[in-house]
Amino acid sequence: MKTLHARMRWFAWHWPQLARWSQVLVIVLVWFVCDQGGRRLHCPIPGSLIAMALLLLALLGGVVPAVGLRRGADWLLAEMLLFFIPAVMAVWEHLPLLQAEGGRILLVILAGTALVMLTTAVLVDLMFHWNRRRAH
Amino acid sequence: MRTELLSLLWLVVTVGGYYVLKPLYRRHPRWWTSPLFTVPLLLAALGLVLGMNYPVYIRDTHWLVLMLGPATAAFALPIFRYRRLIQRHWPALLVGVLGGSAMAIGSAWGLATWCGLDDAVRRSLLARSITTPLAMLMSADIGGVPELTALFVVITGVAGIALGELMLRVMPLRSALARGALFGVGAHGAGTAKAYDIGSEEGSVASLAMVLAGLLNVLLAPALAVLLR
Repeated sequence: MKTLHARMRWFAWHWPQLARWSQVLVIVLVWFVCDQGGRRLHCPIPGSLIAMALLLLALLGGVVPAVGLRRGADWLLAEMLLFFIPAVMAVWEHLPLLQAEGGRILLVILAGTALVMLTTAVLVDLMFHWNRRRAH
Repeated sequence: MRTELLSLLWLVVTVGGYYVLKPLYRRHPRWWTSPLFTVPLLLAALGLVLGMNYPVYIRDTHWLVLMLGPATAAFALPIFRYRRLIQRHWPALLVGVLGGSAMAIGSAWGLATWCGLDDAVRRSLLARSITTPLAMLMSADIGGVPELTALFVVITGVAGIALGELMLRVMPLRSALARGALFGVGAHGAGTAKAYDIGSEEGSVASLAMVLAGLLNVLLAPALAVLLR
């Protein structure tokens, strides 16, 4: 195990590009297996979350060192905005609906999101300071 | 033009446009320079010329959306990197995620009813604050239209980047924990990307809050479906 980890570290250091792409491939494969498996077994939890749990367990258990996935995971997370773009273009399918209700929908989303952010931030900030005061 | 060629052209413009417009955001990070806003704008402008045909557009670009799956799985790494932070602050995070998610569902339902939106749209709005793959799942459970939800999720993301930036300027938030949770619960993946711009601690809190909120919502969806029948 130790030598395998050392080898992975050496590999990531000497061929960063190759390491990144192979790590992306590994993450995609893990996701694919979890997604297909979950679908076959009619699992209500989506495959992407099963894959995340599996990767997290592997990291926590020391099966895979963090260097062995870092570059690939960072790339996937950094490019996530690109993966969202085609979903936005679904606007074209719903143009009449959005022409009729678009303004109101936008209002609901803007006001709702502001409320959610306010609630979350205030609650977390209060809890954080309450916790710290109790610790002192 | 042939359908296959047109689909391929859409793919090239989507990916090419993203990489061309991304440096603009890096130089001037504002919500209106975000690729999530500028690239669809470019595509819409091109759509006026080539025809706004979604099935043709998605034919070759659907695998980009599929990549959201592995990207979600990749969140294991930031969570692992900041496991100490989580161990120390899980009660605050849990309270924030619970309160934020309740507010997300409550505000969407209340405001949509108040604005007189139709039922399918109202149901599709409920899952808009969580990450796309989970939101589409939840939407199907509670009688919404998953595609509409995906669209609302993205609008929430773009709006959330702008709103969050504004809120950080107005609100005196003293902890990275609160700054990160605001983005993670309010604006899912898009907000998380923005939170990473602010700081890596904020970013990891945001990704964790996003994952927690998504999980919570998906697990509660069946109960919510019964409640809203």
